Amino acid sequence: MKKYDASKKWTGPTRPYDLIKEATVAFVVVALLSIGLAALFSSPDEKAVTLQSWSQAAPADFVQTASGELAGSTISGQYGPPYNTAADGQQLGPIKVAKFMGVRIPINTANDFVLKPLGTLNDPVTNAAIARWKAADAKTQSGWATDYTDALTKASTAVTIADTNDKYGPVPTLVTSLYAMAKSGALDGALTTSDSPLPTNFTKPLLFLADSGSYFPGLADAQHLSGDQWGVMNETGSWPGQSWLWLYSLWYQVDPFKSSGNADILVMSLMGLLSLGFVLIPFLPILHRIPERIPIHRIIWRDWYRSERKNS
Amino acid sequence: MVFSLFNLNHPAHYISVGSISVSPGNLVMVVMAFVLFGLALTLPFPGHKSDKNGKE
Repeated sequence: MKKYDASKKWTGPTRPYDLIKEATVAFVVVALLSIGLAALFSSPDEKAVTLQSWSQAAPADFVQTASGELAGSTISGQYGPPYNTAADGQQLGPIKVAKFMGVRIPINTANDFVLKPLGTLNDPVTNAAIARWKAADAKTQSGWATDYTDALTKASTAVTIADTNDKYGPVPTLVTSLYAMAKSGALDGALTTSDSPLPTNFTKPLLFLADSGSYFPGLADAQHLSGDQWGVMNETGSWPGQSWLWLYSLWYQVDPFKSSGNADILVMSLMGLLSLGFVLIPFLPILHRIPERIPIHRIIWRDWYRSERKNS
Repeated sequence: MVFSLFNLNHPAHYISVGSISVSPGNLVMVVMAFVLFGLALTLPFPGHKSDKNGKE
């Protein structure tokens, strides 16, 4: 490789370059393309999935999930940091990264997804059920909710289970009230305004929705948006998606990432490592000789290389 | 979605080969990216005519 002397003045060919003109042309071309393609193909406008639409479309799945939130057995309830301490969360080998970062968005699924929203109803029957739940110890609460969740799951399509022997305590009343609240649309509002009067934080309704046993995963699968369907790079409908994320998406399709509970942090770490390697190519042995072995730049500057050959 | 000439508001027919699954829309974008890269390499600079010595 030729040594480059930075102090030496450039004596090769020069070319006038109008940056403003190029930026203007690029802006106009991209603007015309955007307007033209939007007119030809329009854009995705999928109707938002809400707790209301979920409870109306799949009532049994909603009540099973709501009961699971009381039992703390849902994905959110068992997730670990940053929501709770039920698990260690994502870890990179022996390094427990999520646990190290701690619980930054504390979520108690029973309190945050069920009891607090129900408390806003000011319904005497519901309030009595909330009071009974709170008066019980954790073991009793867990027993009620777990048994009721199992009964609902076994019944498959039922939205409530008769409880003549008081086996489930206040859980059937709580779940039925939450189901009615969700159907009316009030639960979406209660969860988005529980921390702030401005509905800008959708963490709680999204976590609740993601706990859905079959409805929400079914919607994602139908649109090819799940992780094992290259969903990271797909879009709803038939529109092209984020095809540039193919490499991120690829790792989720192959082992050991595919079957790992820590796939997210493993994939992000690998991509970080690969990106760092890409940035540091000029300093990496063998890799820094790629332009010599595959001289693509010579195609771009072919005129200059041709003239240099002739001159020499 | 308002009126458009081509209706893409329906599930795509995904092309699957082994563990690879790609939508026709994404495939078109990937092919176009390669075509544009090839054109950027091979097409001369617009309005540029270098002399035999490569000097302007």
